[in-house]
Amino acid sequence: MQYIENFKNKLLEKAKASGFESAEFFYQSSSSKKINIYEGKVEKNQTSSTGGFSFRGLYNGKMGNYYSEDINEDIIDTVIEGAKQNAMLIENDDKEFIYSGGGEYAKINTYDADISDITAEELAEYAKTLEKAALNADSRVTKVLAATLSAGEAYISLGNTAGLDLNERSNYVIAYADCVAEENGETKENGEFGFYMHKKDIDPADIGRKAAEKTLAMLGADSVKTGEYDIIIQNEALGDLLDCFIGNFYGENVQKGFSMLKDRIGEKIADERLTLVDDPHMEGGMATCAFDSEGVPTRKNVLIENGVLKMFLHNLKSAAAAGEEPTGNGFKQSFKSTVGISATNIYIRSGDKTKNELLSELKNGLLITELSGLHAGANSISGDFSLLASGFEVKDGKITGPVEQITVADNFYTIINKVKSIGNDMKFNSGGVGAPSVLFEKISIAGK
Amino acid sequence: MFDINLANDILTLCADKGADFAEIFAEHNKKSSVSIINGKTDRASGGIDHGMGLRLFKDGRVVYVYTNDLSRDNLLKTAKDALTGFEGSKKAVRIINADKCDTPHKVLLQPSAADKRAIVQKLKTAGEAAQKYSALITQTSVGYLDSEQTVFIANTEGLCRTDSRTRCRVSVNAVASSDTEKQTGYFGPGALKGAEFIDTLDLEAIGSEAARSAVTMLKADNCPSGVMPVILDNGFGGVIFHEACGHGLEASSVSKNASVFAGKIGQQIASPLITAIDDGTIVNQWGSIYIDDEGEFGRKNVLIENGILKGYMVDRYNGMRMDMPATGSSRRQSYRFVPTSRMTNTYIDSGSSTPEDIIAATEYGLYAKYMGGGSVNPSTGEFNFAVNEAYIVRNGKICEPVRGATLIGKGAEVLLDIDMVGSNLKLSEGMCGASSGSIPVCVGQPMLRVKKITVGGR
Repeated sequence: MQYIENFKNKLLEKAKASGFESAEFFYQSSSSKKINIYEGKVEKNQTSSTGGFSFRGLYNGKMGNYYSEDINEDIIDTVIEGAKQNAMLIENDDKEFIYSGGGEYAKINTYDADISDITAEELAEYAKTLEKAALNADSRVTKVLAATLSAGEAYISLGNTAGLDLNERSNYVIAYADCVAEENGETKENGEFGFYMHKKDIDPADIGRKAAEKTLAMLGADSVKTGEYDIIIQNEALGDLLDCFIGNFYGENVQKGFSMLKDRIGEKIADERLTLVDDPHMEGGMATCAFDSEGVPTRKNVLIENGVLKMFLHNLKSAAAAGEEPTGNGFKQSFKSTVGISATNIYIRSGDKTKNELLSELKNGLLITELSGLHAGANSISGDFSLLASGFEVKDGKITGPVEQITVADNFYTIINKVKSIGNDMKFNSGGVGAPSVLFEKISIAGK
Repeated sequence: MFDINLANDILTLCADKGADFAEIFAEHNKKSSVSIINGKTDRASGGIDHGMGLRLFKDGRVVYVYTNDLSRDNLLKTAKDALTGFEGSKKAVRIINADKCDTPHKVLLQPSAADKRAIVQKLKTAGEAAQKYSALITQTSVGYLDSEQTVFIANTEGLCRTDSRTRCRVSVNAVASSDTEKQTGYFGPGALKGAEFIDTLDLEAIGSEAARSAVTMLKADNCPSGVMPVILDNGFGGVIFHEACGHGLEASSVSKNASVFAGKIGQQIASPLITAIDDGTIVNQWGSIYIDDEGEFGRKNVLIENGILKGYMVDRYNGMRMDMPATGSSRRQSYRFVPTSRMTNTYIDSGSSTPEDIIAATEYGLYAKYMGGGSVNPSTGEFNFAVNEAYIVRNGKICEPVRGATLIGKGAEVLLDIDMVGSNLKLSEGMCGASSGSIPVCVGQPMLRVKKITVGGR
């Protein structure tokens, strides 16, 4: 770390000498171990150890960016010159900032020493347990395409010429199972994942079993008749859908005219039982952190409260443009990206209905458990979506049989006003977006 | 770019400790990107990717390690750690020299040497043309990306090759707005070329066409739902083959018998009208490769000929499992990924019907002019892809525009349901994501008709 500290100081000094008014150094290192088990044996064993940095600075009031994975003193001139050239290309009138600190940082815990001690052998044992649990769940489970355990660790440090000096360390374990079930010449495939921030919580058998259950449940699935249905979108699937439209709540998209929510703060945009929260301080959250990539303290933000649009998420630049406080959402996807805006642990708050109550209320319709092709079938700007879906048919409040080869189509801005009931089962999906199961009325389904 | 002696030392160490096979993939990649929003440069960035991945085979399993500290000490230590638990001893073939890189994909102007300001000025014409097209166009964004990747690949069988791959891509987005709605039009041309690629584009035409598509969709009604005949236009329409079949012909799923097309070589899997090819050799094409990411030369692989399955796309590892030779199809996003079998430029070859014939022969159905992306589950063959611009066909004529459709089906069925294939083959550029990362590929086809497919409208 001393090497990086020295490198940072040299780089920032040289930047000042080359005409940058202020400058920032963002360093990220990570290491990971990943094991795949196939048919009881280690199939793939991956380890990595990487680090890289990005530099950004204000040159004639414009922000220049450059990054490198090659960290040695010879690269400093290339980086500074690259950032300067990039700054000189910028033509927008946005006012840019390097953060000088002053905020209060939350004390959060994202590091578990027990996790960093996990060996490749232990991961392999977990993965074997996971594979076995899936195969033993039922004789119709014929193979486990992925029995994967990975453990990762990340370190971020941020320092700038305004005196900011922050760092944060985090680690995690991910378990993933993907299995195939076969019966009467029919093949089904599905997966389940687990994200853990404490070693004691790791439960690979649970993941293997759930993957098997999900897959088995779809055997014998058929399409349904094209038409309008009342549907429950199950928690994780609703999280997947919500993920496509979160960008509409980002200040920059609003200001540049890419969001339909422009000028609508204070208006009711959704059903009055709907509340959307972004909470970076949540214990065990995938995106839990004390500061964003600009060094601004993170905070809990309520975007929609009882159906009313309350605010947008901001980085330093968009906050200043809106004349508001930064919300601590100025994130980079990695050190390679420039600072944009991103939600952290964002979720729709749970309602009070149990799954059975939701099913009885639905009475006749569909329970949608999976949506596919979201990167293509959902238009983040228009809000339109039409997505391949699967799930179950519900008759008289009871699940009857599995359904596949249908599409669910509607519009995000419309569907948030078609809420009939909200479940009490909020869950985060693999992308870190949370939602409860929600019953919607009159949704277009295409089938046979 | 990588010291041959160090490569020999690493590979010899791996063989001495019992690795059946070892391979070095070292990479240096200089990238830059610019985005222009509503006529003004909004973001400009760049950087250097730099790292090495070491892949080992031992008794059928794969060990992969990667790092971006390329110092001799760290690389030898990384190799030693990776070899933990290995037994026995093998021999590595010593490398004398790296083969000369004789890529046919010539670059006239390296992007890093190009005047970015001049590129930005040219790109702006696309946004301006879109704005000019209609007062309904309220936002435009034009993006530019380039990468100059040099790779060094060496293995214990004595292969040692280098390659440099320069790619440029432009994206043009137009947003049309009414009081209550926004619709978008998009194009994303790219090539395995330098900055000279920008001059080959008619940016004004691309901007106007993106705007026309957005405005047309703003005025369109929702697409009807149900099962109907669908005509897919040439170019990006090829996403149907990419999703419905292409992924299922990759050895990564075939070798685990996790593809609906596993074990079907020599069998009729598609309509006899279909010949499908994966061709990595097309000069300067976006998805082309001179060598793949394990050092094999890219080639033209016939996948399906007149409906009969002829071959798969095979990488070294899955080839061992399947007892089939590699086909120059092994690819990865970067040194951070274990390579596996992937597509390059994949297309359905031209048939004999003219586009006019196909429309005229269709009593009722959907004409999908521009497609978006899609995805597939290779085990079940269930695929989906989005239609960005579509029209209803009635009595052999293209009628009103409709929007918001997704097409779904099962790969094994849809290939047999193709009943007309046009004569106007065209390729289109895209990015494809899978286990070895996001890589540039082309999809392609002439106009074709599928007898029946489930259209998800509203």
